[in-house]
Amino acid sequence: MRKTPPAIHPLQKIDFISPKIYDITGDVKLFWMSEVADDTVHLEFHFDAGTIQGEPSLAGFVNALLLSGTDKKSSTQIQDDLNDLGAFVDIEIGQEVAIINLFCLRQYTEAAVDILADALVNLAFVSHEVDDMLREKKQAYLVSSEKVNMLGRRAFQAQMFSNSDRYGRIMKATDFDTVSIPELKRFHKDFYLHGLTKIVVTGNLNVSYIDRLIDVAGAWARTEHLSFEDTFINIPGEMHVEKADAVQTAIRMGIQLFNKTHEDFLDFQVLQTIFGDYFGSRLMSNIREDKGYTYGIGCGVSESHKSGFFIIATEVGKEVAKPTLDEIRFEMYRLRTDPVGEEELNLVKNYLLGQMLKSADGPDAMMSLFMGVEMHGKGYEYYNEAIESVTNVTAERLQELANKYLIWENFTIITAGEQ
Amino acid sequence: MIHFDRFTLENGLKVIFHKDPTSPLAVVNTLYDVGARDESPEKTGFAHLFEHLMFGGSVNIPDFDAPLQHAGGESNAFTSNDITNYYDVLPAQNLETALWLESDRMMSLAFTPKSLETQRSVVIEEFKQRYLNQPYGDVWLYLRPLAYTVHPYQWATIGKEIKHIEDAEMVDVVEFFNKFYNPSNAILCIAGNFELAYIKEVVEKWYSDIPSGIKPARVLPAEPQQTVFREQTIERKVPSDAFYYAFKMPERKNTDYFIVDILSDAMGRDKSSRLYTKIQKELKLVTEIGAYITGSLNDGLLIISGKLSPDVTFEQVDNAIWEVMDTMINIPLSDQEMNRLKNKIKTAKAFQDKGLLNRAMNLAYFELLGDADGINEEAQIYEAIMPKHIQLVSKNILIKTNCSLLKVKAI
Repeated sequence: MRKTPPAIHPLQKIDFISPKIYDITGDVKLFWMSEVADDTVHLEFHFDAGTIQGEPSLAGFVNALLLSGTDKKSSTQIQDDLNDLGAFVDIEIGQEVAIINLFCLRQYTEAAVDILADALVNLAFVSHEVDDMLREKKQAYLVSSEKVNMLGRRAFQAQMFSNSDRYGRIMKATDFDTVSIPELKRFHKDFYLHGLTKIVVTGNLNVSYIDRLIDVAGAWARTEHLSFEDTFINIPGEMHVEKADAVQTAIRMGIQLFNKTHEDFLDFQVLQTIFGDYFGSRLMSNIREDKGYTYGIGCGVSESHKSGFFIIATEVGKEVAKPTLDEIRFEMYRLRTDPVGEEELNLVKNYLLGQMLKSADGPDAMMSLFMGVEMHGKGYEYYNEAIESVTNVTAERLQELANKYLIWENFTIITAGEQ
Repeated sequence: MIHFDRFTLENGLKVIFHKDPTSPLAVVNTLYDVGARDESPEKTGFAHLFEHLMFGGSVNIPDFDAPLQHAGGESNAFTSNDITNYYDVLPAQNLETALWLESDRMMSLAFTPKSLETQRSVVIEEFKQRYLNQPYGDVWLYLRPLAYTVHPYQWATIGKEIKHIEDAEMVDVVEFFNKFYNPSNAILCIAGNFELAYIKEVVEKWYSDIPSGIKPARVLPAEPQQTVFREQTIERKVPSDAFYYAFKMPERKNTDYFIVDILSDAMGRDKSSRLYTKIQKELKLVTEIGAYITGSLNDGLLIISGKLSPDVTFEQVDNAIWEVMDTMINIPLSDQEMNRLKNKIKTAKAFQDKGLLNRAMNLAYFELLGDADGINEEAQIYEAIMPKHIQLVSKNILIKTNCSLLKVKAI
């Protein structure tokens, strides 16, 4: 009995639940997933206030100051008011978007949103609060600059977006010394008070409250067109960032690619999963499980609104950095020359379908699945296409894609560590 | 309220079943009652190295991961000072694949010298990545032996030093497996949309023929009551000076454990906490500060840690921290502070309980503590805590002779 595996039952279909969609303005929408069986509420306010906006570093500073106080309330009072309600606020920023996340229980949602809205609208940029933020952020920046992973990440960003000052910009230690309050205020007004791009609600709230939310936040809706870029050029070739005394070297390599809107996207997902995006992948099997060079290695496609890039990342013992690159190159070459075997292909197909089921488990997962296609103007039908596409992809097709995209000479290759 | 059923096989395997009719997934969580505290002082890092080896194939199955991935699932594990926990998440209709895999590796492993050699290298790279190649990454390698003189919590799960991992031999591996990996030392928790009768049937089918083994008796050296303040300074190439105050606190089963948990929240969970508002926001002596507990099963630690602002001395911060700690003893929490802390605990718990995997893991963990229903009782325990309780434990814990201080001096 133990020699024979139990029968495998393949995935038939996924039952998707669609959020309700409300117009705030023509372009700005609220998405509401109300099918939540417990008392939790997760609210997201998305703003067109990513790091590509304004002068370099300004977006990050304003983002960090969103709860820093009004003329009437200090930052501590705002924190106390939110904490009294047991609310958690998590504010994040990426290249193209800044998001205020609120996590709380149903009965406190309205009060928590009112506190957030007041803090956002009446943000005063009090000078001692600005100084506190700059001092704390600068220390955190200096600490992160000691990590090879972060040094690699910064160099990678500049090389990958070589033709765009907005997308390729990276923070410097001197940025903390040249901030002016009028600049911060202007950014806040342009990209937050007139920068809301969407609201995402996951929680069993009253429909009347959704209307109220639209009234409260509607005033912040983005009126200007979004300025996302679609064509980026990465500089191929190796670049090293020296970090004395590092016992491991961070490796990051990548090429500019595409997002879900491209016809090769779905099949490329299967290819890159085989290459390095699951525990049994070629890169993991070779570089971790066979050679023991690293604790982990992986790859993935990072999508933006109008583009995307492919990245491979790892940290390895400094003495094996060169052999690791040789093995990555070898695995890339192997995908181009030898078709993937049937057994491996079937395994990865089943694995991907199972992961799709997992990424649709529960209202929160379902919502992020929906938002992942909504940003590209698609709906859940995309995932049904994905199931079909994954099921039908052939080894020949994957080899064709490997020859089209996995071309070593095109890759930006960053190493950060001690040489 | 998280519902569950419980049964025990004849070989001693404890089984918890949690039905969730809404999820298309199944979770199979296997907790082994063994952690780094069960290692010998000469062979540390072993429980964790062993966790890696558990993915190297078992007696009837050459590779653990591939069949699970083929069934659409994935697996991982973690080792702490107290336990080793393995989990599989997969489409519910393929539950038996996970049971087949997990039961086979509980029955007998098939280690190869190659697998041992590779995982030694992988774990050494993990050691470097997490502890040696990060600013402040090695502080726990110093703080643990400072705080614990005899209890095995004096070493981290990764081990005292890389050499212990390099020296691990096949005979150690086999001995470790035979001692700790058997049904009488494990708790299995299955979660998903199933019926209890079915779960009983498939668990019997895959696990009942595994020999029971003997639950190893755990005799750990008890850490003696600390009577003097301990202090150590290490010099590192880091951007700013940092400090780690470690206070001994009661074990997980002691009711005071929960009070100390709230105490740590009151001092340093968020931006309303007393340490943050006073020392970071008002005095500006630090650029970050926080307080938390290690959450260990035996006597644990309450930690206060942070980084100094430029041009501030350790002495200045030390004085300020002890003044805040005095307020914990002398000034009771206001009703507002108390409610705030409890509300945050309620919210955090509500979000934690959303995930099927979290629920399965926690049920197994509470069963190890004595009763899986503990998962439903915690909320009331926190609710019953009052300001006077916090003052009382503060008085016993926040004292100099109960403290070990590690300072990282930037050079």
